[in-house]
Amino acid sequence: MFRFLLKRLALTIPTFLALMFITFVMIRLVPGDPVEARRGERGISPERHAELLHEMGLDQPVWKQFADYAGGILQGDFGTSIISKTPVLNEFLTLFPATLELTICAMLFASLIGIPAGVFAAARRGGIYDQTLMGVALTGYSMPIFWWGLILILVMSNTLGLTPVSGRVDLIKFYYQPVTGFALIDSLLSGQKGAFWDAVRHLILPSIVLGTVPLAVIARMTRSAMLEVLEEDYVRTARAKGLSMRRVIGVHALRNALIPVITSIGLQVGTLLAGAVLTETIFSWPGVGKWLIESIGRRDYPALQGGIMLIAACVIVVNLAVDLLYGLINPRIRHGK
Amino acid sequence: MTSRNLLRVALLASSMLAAAAGANAKSLVYCSEGSPENFSPSMNTTGTSFDAARPVYNRLVQFTPGATSVEPALAESWTVSEDGKTVTFKLRSGIKFHSGVNGFTPSRDLNADDVIWSFERMWKAEHPYAKVSGGAYDYFNDMSMPDLLASIAKGGDDLTVVMTLTKPNAPFIANLAMDFATIHSAEYAKYLMDKGTPEQFDQIPVGTGSFQFVDYQKDAVIRFKAFEGWAGKPKIDDLIYAITPDPTARYAKLKANECQVMIAPNPADLEAMGKEADINLMSQAGLNIGYMAMNAQKPPFDKPEVRRAIAMAIDRGAILKEVYQGAGQQAKNPIPPTMWSYDESTVDIEYNPEKAKEMLKAAGVENLQSDIWWMPVQRPYNPNAKRMAEMVQADLAKVGITTTLVSYEWGEYRKRMQAGEHQMGFLGWTGDNGDPDNFLAVLLGCNAEGKPNGNNIPKWCDAKFQEAITKAAEITDQAERTKLYVEAQKIVAEQVPWLNIAHSTVFEPVRKSVSGYKISPFGSHEFQNVDVAE
Repeated sequence: MFRFLLKRLALTIPTFLALMFITFVMIRLVPGDPVEARRGERGISPERHAELLHEMGLDQPVWKQFADYAGGILQGDFGTSIISKTPVLNEFLTLFPATLELTICAMLFASLIGIPAGVFAAARRGGIYDQTLMGVALTGYSMPIFWWGLILILVMSNTLGLTPVSGRVDLIKFYYQPVTGFALIDSLLSGQKGAFWDAVRHLILPSIVLGTVPLAVIARMTRSAMLEVLEEDYVRTARAKGLSMRRVIGVHALRNALIPVITSIGLQVGTLLAGAVLTETIFSWPGVGKWLIESIGRRDYPALQGGIMLIAACVIVVNLAVDLLYGLINPRIRHGK
Repeated sequence: MTSRNLLRVALLASSMLAAAAGANAKSLVYCSEGSPENFSPSMNTTGTSFDAARPVYNRLVQFTPGATSVEPALAESWTVSEDGKTVTFKLRSGIKFHSGVNGFTPSRDLNADDVIWSFERMWKAEHPYAKVSGGAYDYFNDMSMPDLLASIAKGGDDLTVVMTLTKPNAPFIANLAMDFATIHSAEYAKYLMDKGTPEQFDQIPVGTGSFQFVDYQKDAVIRFKAFEGWAGKPKIDDLIYAITPDPTARYAKLKANECQVMIAPNPADLEAMGKEADINLMSQAGLNIGYMAMNAQKPPFDKPEVRRAIAMAIDRGAILKEVYQGAGQQAKNPIPPTMWSYDESTVDIEYNPEKAKEMLKAAGVENLQSDIWWMPVQRPYNPNAKRMAEMVQADLAKVGITTTLVSYEWGEYRKRMQAGEHQMGFLGWTGDNGDPDNFLAVLLGCNAEGKPNGNNIPKWCDAKFQEAITKAAEITDQAERTKLYVEAQKIVAEQVPWLNIAHSTVFEPVRKSVSGYKISPFGSHEFQNVDVAE
């Protein structure tokens, strides 16, 4: 197991390095620079422009900038935001809990609905339930997040008045300082009556929006894995023993069918973080996605580069965890067979 | 417990007490667009950042709410010497700074030291705060303050500030009403420097404004509470900025009464907003101009008659309808009609493609090929430059001019246009200080050698025009200045360096429960006089 972990860890190093290089180059290929971006129609003299670029170190050759940046990262220094003048790591750590909370809730929503839905569809293969569910899953998968978010706001918030439009808390009724950065925990810590329920209500729509695509993927994946497992000899044996269908599916089939589903859930983390960029913008959710979007507009290279690297690190860690989990569940993987 | 956590606990306790004590506190939520860069207007360039700091601060003078005129603020009066080079400000006495923010308790009222400190930070490289938080003071430089200021010093007493200028400059007072000229507390700066945390100066603001800073959570919320200062107590107790970047979400929040005032509505939502029973869709002519420059340094655009013919060939009525969707008015002068010295007598260029064709022929222009540059961004003065370019392209094709459409990334676009690479192209301007000089000199002015200034996109220089605007900037008699600016506008109308397209209308939807709110011609948002019904 330890060798397996080491091998997996060793593989993440070139991935991380390649990613650092690609993002560094890509960001600089985008036309414009941080000085130009903040000037608008006012303009700037070429001398002042050069002076400001020099102050930011952006007049250095790109290879030197990269070497400096890579050196900083190795020492845990992700640079300082050009706009806010605060260390990128601090900004990230302030905003990341909001993204993490939203991602976890979205994944819970997707898994808790997606897995049972996939199981039911497999159990009633070809029936109307199966057909409908797969149709809905395909629709969910193809739905543009932005559109879906706005439709839910218009229906659930404006028309039915069931949920708040956006944000994490009712700004007039509640005020508490973030302690952990997780609204659900902070609202409980605040001791203010009704704050927790208010935080839950604010999480409903963004979780649904962000969880819709993974929900569709998980439902489809569970269905196909279940169908495969249901054909296996041991399932036939279990049924021949006279076990109830519920027991056959719940005890024998589902456990084995979940192996590929867990992998797909791990892979969905990347999709979720990408989706969070849009979801956070629609729902005014103060997470890293919204921060990255603003950093692109402002050409805040350190924030953008650091943010991408840190998110990538999270995805790599989650994938590593999934690999390990998968290895634990399925020893064939662990032994490289 | 770290000092930061202590501060949080203290803030939390105070907020809970405040919540308990003031169950009936009046709160107003403003749906803003984004997060501020920081809370020091001297270092910022965006409206979002200026709006975030404005409740906290004051300047020596200020713009009258909803207007472009200048009125006293921290300075109760000022006098200008006969030669126009010395301005003496008399500060109000007893002006208090906010107390209790970031552990700071002021020991004295505002005085001349604070004013001198605030200006010298932007001006003198040796100032202890000059390099704190990056130290780029764009607006101070843009308004030519380093060239204009000769000295700033205390007058006879603690409440007198004397500024001497290198030359007379009429717009100088209006410049001081701009956000960059905010007055800070020198004592708070020293307190933070002694604590070893000078960068907090730009993150946790202390000022003299009607609202005291409470808390900022990046990308989420900014909170202020009412402060009874020199301007009196505001009518609301809590002012909350809910940072909401998406315009559709802002509108949804306004409808759900999650906010009561919102910035920048989506043009497509305006019609629906106008029909909402609970929403008051306020509007005002914007202090802006959208234009199409014709590069006077590139033939045949160097000939005024060619420029006029092109202007005649373009159907601006259709552009107003299609691009501005009626939310604008056709422009006939380079300055907006809400600005003093606007020349009502200007006869606008008529749309007459037939006559344009004849004029082009008479000027010897045949089979002209040109480019039309369109901005890749949406601006209040030009909501859709690409569509506008397509319409102009179709209009010019009718008079035999073949055009190609060109665009670049926004920063690159502006840079290349300033370098004069274009033949024809769109740009615009939103006023900073309500003075005609801020339009005419900035956008059409040239230097002493007759070379166009950086923002002079038509690259047009005219000696008579230059003489008029230079003289107007140096005298203080407004009637005399008006005459000179009218003369300048007549020269522009005759020479057509650019095609005036439109002054757009600014819309701001507010809940009907809100009273006393005024739209600022500068696009800023102020809540000092605003009330909200329970």
